[in-house]
Amino acid sequence: MEGKEEDVRVGANKFPERQPIGTSAQSDKDYKEPPPAPLFEPGELASWSFWRAGIAEFIATFLFLYITVLTVMGVKRSPNMCASVGIQGIAWAFGGMIFALVYCTAGISGGHINPAVTFGLFLARKLSLTRAVYYIVMQCLGAICGAGVVKGFQPKQYQALGGGANTIAHGYTKGSGLGAEIIGTFVLVYTVFSATDAKRNARDSHVPILAPLPIGFAVFLVHLATIPITGTGINPARSLGAAIIFNKDNAWDDHWVFWVGPFIGAALAALYHVIVIRAIPFKSRS
Amino acid sequence: MAKDVEGPEGFQTRDYEDPPPTPFFDADELTKWSLYRAVIAEFVATLLFLYITVLTVIGYKIQSDTKAGGVDCGGVGILGIAWAFGGMIFILVYCTAGISGGHINPAVTFGLFLARKVSLIRAVLYMVAQCLGAICGVGFVKAFQSSYYDRYGGGANSLADGYNTGTGLAAEIIGTFVLVYTVFSATDPKRNARDSHVPVLAPLPIGFAVFMVHLATIPITGTGINPARSFGAAVIYNKSKPWDDHWIFWVGPFIGAAIAAFYHQFVLRASGSKSLGSFRSAANV
Repeated sequence: MEGKEEDVRVGANKFPERQPIGTSAQSDKDYKEPPPAPLFEPGELASWSFWRAGIAEFIATFLFLYITVLTVMGVKRSPNMCASVGIQGIAWAFGGMIFALVYCTAGISGGHINPAVTFGLFLARKLSLTRAVYYIVMQCLGAICGAGVVKGFQPKQYQALGGGANTIAHGYTKGSGLGAEIIGTFVLVYTVFSATDAKRNARDSHVPILAPLPIGFAVFLVHLATIPITGTGINPARSLGAAIIFNKDNAWDDHWVFWVGPFIGAALAALYHVIVIRAIPFKSRS
Repeated sequence: MAKDVEGPEGFQTRDYEDPPPTPFFDADELTKWSLYRAVIAEFVATLLFLYITVLTVIGYKIQSDTKAGGVDCGGVGILGIAWAFGGMIFILVYCTAGISGGHINPAVTFGLFLARKVSLIRAVLYMVAQCLGAICGVGFVKAFQSSYYDRYGGGANSLADGYNTGTGLAAEIIGTFVLVYTVFSATDPKRNARDSHVPVLAPLPIGFAVFMVHLATIPITGTGINPARSFGAAVIYNKSKPWDDHWIFWVGPFIGAAIAAFYHQFVLRASGSKSLGSFRSAANV
């Protein structure tokens, strides 16, 4: 009897042996699924953290476009591929910059830096409609400014070398471009969902060990795969910023692909994660 | 976003505490070995940084010089140079973060000084040590291969053809903003609390930020964003072209660091409005 009480005090007997551990463990979760965010939350408009989050998204997307489009221009301007960082360097610029910026802004705004990510998280009820729209607007404005600074550095070369704008390459159909954007964005948003999942957080003892790193790597890997097809959008703000500053017909002709594709991909990722992987609606019902 | 927990007495019970502003002059720290150890650490770190990076630059130029037996795609490539800078910052910040804060860059020191995280004395000593370390690091590279060193530009920063002074300055400002902003984010006590006070690889995003900026701006200025790095190479190479443009590599980084300090302290952390809140609380009492 004394031994049993001692065990109870140190927690060794938390799960009595007569009851299967697997069964009782299911009811002893050390995480809690956050409730769905309301569509409209008027109170958040009065909070500085709301406006600060938008500013952070603007600055992050501005820096993202500045570094990445400047890297693209550096590669385009060089006499040959080996005199520059090359296509792989461009992929690193996109993926590495997402890693660094998501790391910096994760605690401020959630570190989206991408309207498709914002849309996916909105569908999963992780942020309000007001916040989602605000983020997307700030991301697009930041992208335009970032590409604008790059053009300011080299106006003639920028226009002559394509301005880093996304277009579907010769030999690929619009359907191929759309498919590439859908699957590419699915990879990214699915990784975002996995990195920010409450259950995974609990498994990692609630220490978010570099959640931004797999997100950055997802962007890097998708760029390795689809730069030859579309120059890789998977980020409508990135495509819009370059298209607006470059402002030529060929950039606008294909532009719809870089909004429709990413938004479909984000929606599929949200459905897959919420309904298939986490089965949240069914748990809520029971 | 998680909100601060409201304690029973109505005060917010945060599990982190913003450290008070560091005094400008702290005579007491002059009597401690930890200050001199930190300065030595900054010197050694900057020496190693310049040695690895400038040696990588010179090696690449030797191997890719088609007129002297090299090949077009020889060497580690510009991408390899960018990796050398970013990767070296990562491991050196990792090694010296607990000793000196792992600045390895006068612009980072300046930004943290503006944010009142280091004293004036410490900031000045760090910058001097960083510049001396940079000179020694590049000195080693020259000593190992003086003719190659002089022939291939000495790894010095200068404005590339086709870019004007304003563009170079802007590139240095924005590039340093990216770096110092990442440093502030990585060292923020609020973030530390959110990570359950586990400093898991904070140096990695800092190294990546350096890597990213090098990818983007090597074609423009060879990428300074570190006045000690530019200074060390300029001193050892000692030609007029690097010195003509040298002011860009001090003015740009210091402006970028100041903007990053302002952005982090007053926009993201809103320390001004928090002070106002404290004032209101005091008035209530």
